[in-house]
Amino acid sequence: MNASFLLFTLLNTGFVLLVSPLFMSLIKKVKAYAQGRKGPSLLQGYFDLHKLMQKEVVYSPNSSEIMRITPYLNLAVLLLATLFVPIVFIPDAPEGIGNIIVFLYLLAIERFFTALCGLDAGSTFGGMGSSRLMSLSAVIEPTMIIAFAALAYVLKTVNFHEMFAITAGSTIPESPTLTLISISLFIIIIVETGRLPVDNPATHLELTMINEAMILEQSGKNLALIELAHAVKQTILMAVLINILAPLGLATELTFTGLVVSCLYFLIKASLLAGVIGLFESSLAKMRLFRLPGFYMMAFFFSALTILMEVFA
Amino acid sequence: MSLLEAFVYGAVIALISGTVLPLLYRSKNARKASFGLSLISSILLLAFAGTVLYTGKEPAFPAFRFLPGLDFTLAADRLSAGFILLIAAVVPGVSIYSVEYVEHGKSEAGKDLQATLTNLFILAMLMVVLAGNMVGFLVFWEIMSLSSLLLVLHDCSSEENKKAGFFYFVMTSLSTAFLFMGFISLFRLTGSAEFGQLDYPASILTLPFLCLFTGFGIKAGIVPFHKWLPYAHPAAPSSISALMSGVMLKVAIYGFLRFLLSVSVPELWWGMLILIGGSLSAVLGVIYALKESDIKRLLAYSSIENIGIVLIGIGLYLIFKVEGLEALSHLSLIGACFHAFNHALFKSLLFLCAGSVVHATGTRNIEAYGGLVKRMPHTAVLFLIGSVSIAALPPTNGFVSELILFQAFFDSSALPNPLLKVLLITTLSVFALTSALAAALFVKLFGITFLALPRTKSATEATEVSKLMLFGEAVPAVLCILSGLFSSRILGLLGFDLEIPDMLLIGLILAGACGLVWFAVRTSGTSKSPRISTETWGCGILAQHPTMEYTSAGFSEPLVMIFKKIYRTEISSTRVYADTKESIFKSGTARIHLIKFFEERLYLPAAYAVSFISSQVSRMQNGRLDTYVLYVFIAVLTLMTFTRYFA
Repeated sequence: MNASFLLFTLLNTGFVLLVSPLFMSLIKKVKAYAQGRKGPSLLQGYFDLHKLMQKEVVYSPNSSEIMRITPYLNLAVLLLATLFVPIVFIPDAPEGIGNIIVFLYLLAIERFFTALCGLDAGSTFGGMGSSRLMSLSAVIEPTMIIAFAALAYVLKTVNFHEMFAITAGSTIPESPTLTLISISLFIIIIVETGRLPVDNPATHLELTMINEAMILEQSGKNLALIELAHAVKQTILMAVLINILAPLGLATELTFTGLVVSCLYFLIKASLLAGVIGLFESSLAKMRLFRLPGFYMMAFFFSALTILMEVFA
Repeated sequence: MSLLEAFVYGAVIALISGTVLPLLYRSKNARKASFGLSLISSILLLAFAGTVLYTGKEPAFPAFRFLPGLDFTLAADRLSAGFILLIAAVVPGVSIYSVEYVEHGKSEAGKDLQATLTNLFILAMLMVVLAGNMVGFLVFWEIMSLSSLLLVLHDCSSEENKKAGFFYFVMTSLSTAFLFMGFISLFRLTGSAEFGQLDYPASILTLPFLCLFTGFGIKAGIVPFHKWLPYAHPAAPSSISALMSGVMLKVAIYGFLRFLLSVSVPELWWGMLILIGGSLSAVLGVIYALKESDIKRLLAYSSIENIGIVLIGIGLYLIFKVEGLEALSHLSLIGACFHAFNHALFKSLLFLCAGSVVHATGTRNIEAYGGLVKRMPHTAVLFLIGSVSIAALPPTNGFVSELILFQAFFDSSALPNPLLKVLLITTLSVFALTSALAAALFVKLFGITFLALPRTKSATEATEVSKLMLFGEAVPAVLCILSGLFSSRILGLLGFDLEIPDMLLIGLILAGACGLVWFAVRTSGTSKSPRISTETWGCGILAQHPTMEYTSAGFSEPLVMIFKKIYRTEISSTRVYADTKESIFKSGTARIHLIKFFEERLYLPAAYAVSFISSQVSRMQNGRLDTYVLYVFIAVLTLMTFTRYFA
C-alpha cells in the first residue's frame, strides 16, 4: 500500500460512483429520442437514488438475512472491482489488484448473491429471474474467459493495470486484433448489464425479464444500493472497453492535469459509448430466451478468432 | 526413532485402537472414544505432514517383512505429506460430527460397526499414502475399498442400497484389477516393487500408463467410469460420503500422481488424454448434477466435476513439462494439488451439512425442502460457506485453486506448438463453462434447500441439529475460509512462491468496503425510516403458498433446454388409428425417457458380454470327475505341443 494507491482508491472509486448514474440516464435519454420521446432529465438517476434513500425498506416475512446482506455486499464488491479498472490514472497497485480473473469472479459474487436474493422471498418472479440469470451467465462465461484470455494473449499480461499502461497513450488500438476483441467486449457489456436483446431493463413484470425480476422484492435504501451497484458495474465494464479500444487520454502517472484530462476524456468517450449502447438497444427487439446462446456464440467467435490469429500469426 | 516417526506410529496406533475398541466394548462410550482416537490421530498426522512439508525432511521407517521377498516399507516425501495433510484436514470435522451422527443409526451392532469401519477406512487411506512400495499400496488399497464397501452397505435393507453396494463392488474390483496389471507390468520392467524413478522411454511405459490411468480413473470417478459415485454416495452415511468424496477420491489422485511424477520423460499425448478426460469429466459432471434433485447424488456428481478440474491441472502439468515450460508445469501441478485439498475441505463440509439436512427432514429430495434457513440457521450459514467456496467466489479457497489453473491457461501463449494452443483454448472455455455452471448449481442447491417457504410438512418441522454436529461442520468451514485468505502465505510457507493475487488483501478491502457502505447508509440522515414487513408480492394473491415457489427442476430447466443434446431425452410415441388410411386418431401412448447414456450404452453391454462369456464357460462345468480329468489331459497335451514346437 502506498500513497499513490490510496489516492487512486479514493479518486477512482469516487469518480465512478459520481458518474455512474449519469450514464444510466444518458442511455435512457438516447433510447427516448430514438423512440421520438423527450425522455427523463440527465440527472434523473441521481434524483431516483436520492428518493429511494429516503424511503423505508420493506421485507417479506419469508425472506432471510440473504435479502438484507446482499445490497451491501453487491455494492462493496463493485467498489472493490472499480480498483481493478483504472480510469483517472494508473497507480502503483499492490500485487493482484487488477488481475482479470479476480475481476471476473468479483462480478460472479454479485451474480451469485443477486440470484440467491431472487429465490429468497419465495416469489415465482424472483425464482424465474435467478434461474435465467444463472443459466445465461453460465453460457456467456466461456465467451468472457476467452475474450479476456485473448486480451492476455495480445497484451501479454493478466493485469488490467499493466494492460492499460501498454495501451495508454496511443490513439488507435495497440494491435488490430484488439478491435475484434472489442466486439466481444461490447456484447459482454450488453449481457452483463441486462440490456436488449438479452434482457429489457425498461419492463417490469414481463415474463421476458431477468434482472428486474430478481430485485422485485427490493425496496427503499436496499433498492438504491442495488441500482447504484448496477450502474457502477456498467461504468467499469464500459471503461474496460474504452481503455482497450480508445485509450487516448488515460494518465499513466499521477499529475493534476493528467487527472483532469483523464476524467474529461473518459466522460466524453463514455458518453459516446453510452449513445452507441442506447442506439444498439433501440435497434433491436428482445430475443427469445433460447436464441440467446447463439447471440453469445457470436461474441465467442470474435474472441476465439483473435486468439487464433495471434496463435498462427 | 525421532519425533517425526513417532507421530506416524502414534497416529497408526490410535487408529488401530479406534478400530478395535467399539468391537471389544460395545457401548456408546467406546464409540465416542473411537472417534476421539481418530481425532487424536489426525492431530498427530497434521504435525507430521506439516513438518515434512515445511522442512522437506524425509522420515526413515524400518522395513517390515511379510513374507520372504515381500517387504512392506513406509515412506513419506513431500507429495505424500501433502495428501496426509489433506487426510488430517478432513478427519477432525468428520470424527467430531460422527460422535452424534452415528447414534442416529438403527441397531447397536450397526453403530459399533460404523465406528470401527470408519477408523479402519481412515487407517487404510493413510497407509496407502504412506506405502513405500507396490505391495503395501495394493494391500491397503484393497482394505480401503472393502471397508468403504461395507460402509456403503451399512443399511442394506433397501433394494436400492444393495444395488449401490454391488455396483460399487464391481467398479472397485475393476479398478484394483487394472492397478494390478499396471503395477505388474511396471514390476516386470524394473524388477523391483519400490516406487522409484522410471528412466525409461515413454513408449515402453504406455501399457502401465493406460492401466494405471484406467484403474485410478475408476476410483477417482472420471467420466465414463463415474457411475458408481452417484449410487454409492446416497447409500453411505453422510460422514462416510464426506470421507469417500473428500479423501478416497484424492487417494486415487495421489496414486496416479505418484506414478506420473516418477516418469522422467512422459509423452505429450498422455497430457492431452488426461486434459481432455478431465475437461469432459468436469463439464459432464456438473451438467448431470444440475438435473439431479437428490441432494447427496447431486453432491456426488459435483465431486466428479471437481476431480475433472484436478485432472485438468495434471494434464496441463504434463503438457507444459513435455514442452519444457518448467515454471508453468510447476504452477499447474500446484493448482491441481491445491484444488484436491480444497475440494476435500468444501465437499466434506457440504456432505456433513447435507447429512444434517437429511436427518432433520428425513428425505434426500431437495424438492421437499425450503425455508430451512429459518429452522436450521447455523447449518445454513455453514452450507453457504461451502457453496461459496465450491462456486469459486473470491476470497475462498475454491477460487484460489481455480485462479491458479486459469493463470496457467492464460500463460499458455508461451507454448511453441500452435495446435496445442488451440487444444488449450478449447479446454479453457470448457473449464470456464464448468465453473459458471457450478455457480448456477449451488445457487439452486442453496436457494431451493434453505430459502423461501418450506414445501413439505417435514421441512416445516425440521429443527437444528446438535451443537457437536454443528461444530464438526464448522471445522472444515473455518478451514475453507482460512486456506482461502492465507492461500499465498501458506503456499509461500511450503516453498511455492507463486505470483498469485493476495486473497487476504482482497478479503480485507472487501470487508472494508462492506463496512463503508453500511456506514454510509447508516449516516446518510435517513436512518429514521422504519423497516416494514409485508407479504411477498404475488400479483394480488394475498396469502403466499409454497407451491408458487420455483422448484429445483424449474430452476435448471433453461440449462436443461440449452444442453438437451447432452441429456438425451428420448421421446417416443405410439399411435393407433381408427381407419386404415391413418387419418383418424383413436388412442396412443407417449413417453419421455431420460437415457442414462453410460449405463445403457456402455455398462450394460459390457455386463451382458461378461455374463454371456461366463455362461458359455459354465457349460464346460458338468461336475463329473472324468470330464475334468479330460480337461487336464488336453491342457497337458496342448502345453507339451506348444513347448515342443513354438517355444
